[in-house]
Amino acid sequence: MRLGVVRGTVVLSHALPTLAGVRLVILEPVTAERLAAGNPGGGKCLIAADQLGPGIGQMVGFAEGRTAASPWYPNDIPVDAYCCLIVENLDYTPPKVAAKPNVRKTKKVRQ
Amino acid sequence: MYLARIDGTLTSTIKHETLGGFRFLIAQRLEGDGSGSGEPQVVIDMIGARVGSLVLVTTDNEAVRKASKNTTPVRLAVMGIVDSVYPEPGAAA
Repeated sequence: MRLGVVRGTVVLSHALPTLAGVRLVILEPVTAERLAAGNPGGGKCLIAADQLGPGIGQMVGFAEGRTAASPWYPNDIPVDAYCCLIVENLDYTPPKVAAKPNVRKTKKVRQ
Repeated sequence: MYLARIDGTLTSTIKHETLGGFRFLIAQRLEGDGSGSGEPQVVIDMIGARVGSLVLVTTDNEAVRKASKNTTPVRLAVMGIVDSVYPEPGAAA
């Protein structure tokens, strides 16, 4: 489950019958750098099915892949992203100094 | 399954009905050199990992389905807290 910020909603005029009544939201996934900087976002936007009704600007957790359609089990529905939770409080404290690979540097040889 | 470092915690009131009672953690998947790879992921924790823990994360939703219902959309769960890895992530190759 990745984190995403709600940027909008999508409404379909014609849709597959199985999609009837499914709300769709536009999500901007959150990258580690932008989350650490306090400005969530930065990923490639995607559309997710939603049953929770988050507002624009709210952060949500969304599942991806086949299990995103599990809430409709045993019915099959062509959904591959699903809004699982609305984030209420997020405490993010990544290590300040990222572990760097300890690779021995080779000296440049003058020609 | 992959190794991840726990970078944070998350609380949520409005969530899918199958997710009640679970702890949510923010996990960062690690490369072999100890650097983070990809975007932070929300994982379900049933065994008590803490911020800073090195954990093994499963991407199969069987673990969550067993603890919840068949209709749960979440796949990622902490399988275990790592005791030791050889060679350590970030150690010289």
